[in-house]
Amino acid sequence: MADELYLENIDEFVTDHNRVVTYKWLSYTLGVHVNQAKQMLYDYVERKRKENSGAQLHVTYLVAGNLLQNGHFVTMKSKLSTIASVHVYSIQKALLKDSSPLYNTDYDIVKTNLQHCSKFSAIRCAAAVPRTPPDAPQVPEPVQSPQRQRDPDAAINGHRVRAAKPPPQQHKGIMGMFAAKAAARPQDTPKEAKAEAKEAAGVSAANCKPPTKNTIMNNFFGKAAMNKLKANSVPEQPKEEKEVVKPSVAVAESESSPNTVAEKPGKKTESDRIQQKDKKSKTKRVDRSDDEEERDPENVKKKRKRIKQLLSDSSDEEDVPPSPTPEEERVPSPPPEPALKTELEPASTEVSAGGRKRKRKRVLKSRMFIDEEEGCMVTEKVYESESCTDSEDEFPKTKAPAPQEQAMLPTKREPKEERKNPKKGAAPASRANKQVSIMGFCQKK
Amino acid sequence: MFSEQAAATAQGLLAPPSAEPPTFPRVAVSGYSDCSQPFQLGERSFARQYAHIYAVRLAGMRPGLERRARSRWGNDVVLRRLSELQEGEKCCVVGTLFKSMQLQPSILQEISEEHNLVPQPPLPKYIQPSDELILEDELQRIKLEGAIDVQRLVTGTIVAVYGCEQDNGRFLVEDHCFADLPPPLPWSGPSSDRYVLLASGLGLGSVSGEALLSTQLLVDVVTGQLGAEGEQSCAAHITRVILAGNLLSQNTQSRDTINKAKYLTKKTQAASVEAVKMLDEILLQLCTSVPVDVMPGEFDPTNYTLPQQPLHRCMLPLASAYATLRLVTNPYQASLDGVRFLGTSGQNISDIFKYSSMDDYLEILEWTLLVGHISPTAPDTLGCYPFYKSDPFILTECPHVYFCGNAPHFQSKLLQGKEGQRVLLLTVPDFSATQTACLVNLHDLSCQPITFSSFGADSEDGDMELEH
Repeated sequence: MADELYLENIDEFVTDHNRVVTYKWLSYTLGVHVNQAKQMLYDYVERKRKENSGAQLHVTYLVAGNLLQNGHFVTMKSKLSTIASVHVYSIQKALLKDSSPLYNTDYDIVKTNLQHCSKFSAIRCAAAVPRTPPDAPQVPEPVQSPQRQRDPDAAINGHRVRAAKPPPQQHKGIMGMFAAKAAARPQDTPKEAKAEAKEAAGVSAANCKPPTKNTIMNNFFGKAAMNKLKANSVPEQPKEEKEVVKPSVAVAESESSPNTVAEKPGKKTESDRIQQKDKKSKTKRVDRSDDEEERDPENVKKKRKRIKQLLSDSSDEEDVPPSPTPEEERVPSPPPEPALKTELEPASTEVSAGGRKRKRKRVLKSRMFIDEEEGCMVTEKVYESESCTDSEDEFPKTKAPAPQEQAMLPTKREPKEERKNPKKGAAPASRANKQVSIMGFCQKK
Repeated sequence: MFSEQAAATAQGLLAPPSAEPPTFPRVAVSGYSDCSQPFQLGERSFARQYAHIYAVRLAGMRPGLERRARSRWGNDVVLRRLSELQEGEKCCVVGTLFKSMQLQPSILQEISEEHNLVPQPPLPKYIQPSDELILEDELQRIKLEGAIDVQRLVTGTIVAVYGCEQDNGRFLVEDHCFADLPPPLPWSGPSSDRYVLLASGLGLGSVSGEALLSTQLLVDVVTGQLGAEGEQSCAAHITRVILAGNLLSQNTQSRDTINKAKYLTKKTQAASVEAVKMLDEILLQLCTSVPVDVMPGEFDPTNYTLPQQPLHRCMLPLASAYATLRLVTNPYQASLDGVRFLGTSGQNISDIFKYSSMDDYLEILEWTLLVGHISPTAPDTLGCYPFYKSDPFILTECPHVYFCGNAPHFQSKLLQGKEGQRVLLLTVPDFSATQTACLVNLHDLSCQPITFSSFGADSEDGDMELEH
C-alpha cells in the first residue's frame, strides 16, 4: 500500500503542481534514500508510458561513463564506451530549455535542509562531525552505523527513525507517504518550521534564506510601503533581547508566524537595517528613534527636539528612512535629551530631565523702544514670562534693566554670563551639546 | 577508473524501488599531515626591502647548483664569483637571472610625469625579441649571450652558466644548467584505490548560471547522491577534495564604490558577499561528506601577495563548524595517505606564462620543478612577501603530486627522475570554464578528468552527462 502512494504523490507533484521533480527534491520531500527516489521516478515514468494517457512527460536522465572520443555530446549513449550509471534525474511536464529549473529546484530544497544535506545520501562519512560550537548549538548530523549489509527491518526502522528526528522532515515524510495532500504548502511549511527550529540557534542559514527570497520582492515595494510594514511589525517584537544583531534577526524570524508575503519584505528590510544600523554612527541611531518615539505618547515633546537635531545633522542622514529598532535607540536618547532642552530654552540655567507640563516661565527677550529723553533707540533685554512646555527650570536672578545706557551695559553682560554658565554646565554632558550651543546662537537676535 | 567498476550496476536504478538501498561508508583518512608551515606567515612586516629575498634564494640554492655543475662539467670545473672573473677563462658562475624586457610594466614609468605615458594595457605576453638576460650574483651583474634561450627564461631563476667572459664585457655561455629535480621522497602510498578530487576555479558569483548546475553535479557525485550504486560506491573511495583557488569569480572583484558616486553605492553590498554565502553552502554540503581543503586564489578574499593566507573561517560560518573543512594556504603542501601533494592556485604559472615564450601550462609546471623553485618571478612581477631569512618557495624535496590550479585545460604527466623521483604533474582546469575536475588515484598516481555537462535545447529527452 505504501508503495503505491509515492506514485500518486509524484503524479500530483508533476501534473497538478507543475513542478520539476528531481530525484533530490523527491528524496527530501518524501524522506527516502536518493537511490530509492531515483527508482520511484523511474517506476512512475514506466507506468505512465505504459498507460499512454497522452499527458506529455519530459524526463531528464543522467548518464555517466567513459567517452569514446573527445568532443561534444549529441546523443550520449552512442558516445560513451562504458556506461557507469544511468538513472532518472528529473521529471517535469514542460520541456526544459536549459538546466536552470533543475538547479533551482535542487538549490531550494537543499537550502531548506542545509543541516541535513547528507541524510539521504548514499555515502556516510564518519569524520564529518561538527566541532563543538562555542555559541550556536547546531544539531550535528548523526553518525550512522556504516554497514553495507544490513538487516532490512532494522534498516527500515533506522531509516524511519532518521526521518523522524527533525520535526519538519517527519511531518513531511509521514504526510508524503500517507496523505494525498502532502504538498499543500511545500514552500511555507519548511520555512515556518525552520524558523521555529532555528530560533534558538545561530541564524546564519535562516539569514540567507529570506534575503535571497525577498530581494525581488523588495524591489517592488517602495520605501513608504516598507516603512508601514516596519511600523506594523515592530510593535510585535518583544523588547527584551535586542542587544545583538543576530538574536534580533532571529526574533524577526520567529514573529513571522503569520508568514504573509507582506511580512517577508519587512523582515528582510529589518534585518538589513539592523545590520546597517550597527555600522552607522550614533547620531543616526538617534535619528531613527524618531519614529519610535512618535508612537510613545509620553515622549511627544522629545520628538520636537529630535527633529531639530536632525536638521543640524549631515545631509546624507535624510536618505535613511527612519526604521524603528527599539532598544538601542532608547539608550542613547536620554543623554541627548537634557542637552537639547537647554538649547531650546536659552534662559534655563540647568540641565533638567523632568517635568513636561505647560507652565509660564520667564524668557529673556529683547525689547526695543525709543527713549525720548536721550533721543535714541534703546534695546534692552528683559525677562518676560511666557507659557511654554517642558522642563521646570530654575530661573536666574532677574535684573530689571535700567533705562540708562550706562546701566544697560552691565545688565547686558550679566545675562550673557548667566547664559554662558548653563552652556558650560551642559557642555560636558554629551557630544550633542555642541550643536545645542550653535542652535542657541541662531536663536538669539 | 570509476567506470569499469561501476558498469556492472549501471542500470540498476532503472527499476522500481527495491529493497533498502545500501549506504557506503566513506573511506577513512589514514594519514594526513599538513606541511605548509613555511607558507604560513605569522607576524608580517613589510618594512624590509625585497633584495633580501634574492640574497637568501641564491644562498639557499647555490650549494645544490654547484653540485650539479660539478657533476655535469666535471669535478675540476672552476667555480667563480662574478667579481673574480678573468677574461677568457672558462669557468662556471652561479647566479640569479634577470631579464630586462622593454614591455615589462613599470609603475614608475607610468606615473612619471616627464614621460607622459598612457598606462599600458595588459598584454597576454610581454616578451620581445630585444629582451636581454643578465646574470647577477651577490655583488655584480653581467650580460649573457650565447647558448641560452632568452625568451624562455624568466627573472629570478637561479642558474649555473659555463662559459667565459669576453672582451666586450659580456659572458659567452656555452652551457647552462638548473637545479634539476629535488631529491625524492620515500613512497608510502596506500595499498588500495583511494582518490583525491581536485577542482579549481569554481567561479561563484559570476553572472552566468550555467556553471552552477555543473558545480551542483560535482558536489552530488562526491557526496554520493548522483549516479547508480556502482558509481556511488566508487565515490565513497574519494578521501579528499582539494579546491585549488578562485572559488569566487573575477566578476566579484569589481569595485563600484571607487568609480561611482557615494549616493549610488551607499546600500549596495559587494558582489563577493553573496558569492561567499553560496560558497559556504556548497562547502557545507561537501563537508558533511568528505574532508575538504580550500586554497585561496587570485580572486578570493585574502591577501594578494604570495604566499596567500587561508581564508578566514568567519566567512564560512556554516561549513567551518565541521572538522572536515580545512582552510589552507596557497601554495599548499600536505601529505595525504603517504603521498606528498604540492600545488598552487596557478598564479605562479600564469605569471611565468606572461614573461616567457613557453605556452603550455604543463610545460611551465615541469620547468618550475626542474629549476627547483615554485615561482621564480616573485617578487619581480608577482607579489610576494619580503622574506629575509629563507625563501620558502625553493623546492627541497620532490613531491609525488605537483599541481597548479586554474589552468586553461586539463593536462597530466608522470615524470620520472634520474634519482628515482616519480612525480605526477597535473594542471587542474578552471571549472567555471571547462566544467572539468580531476580525480587522482593515490594508489598508482594515475589521473582522470571528470567533466559535467548539461543539455541544450535540442533534445526532447534531455540528458545530462557525466564523462570520465
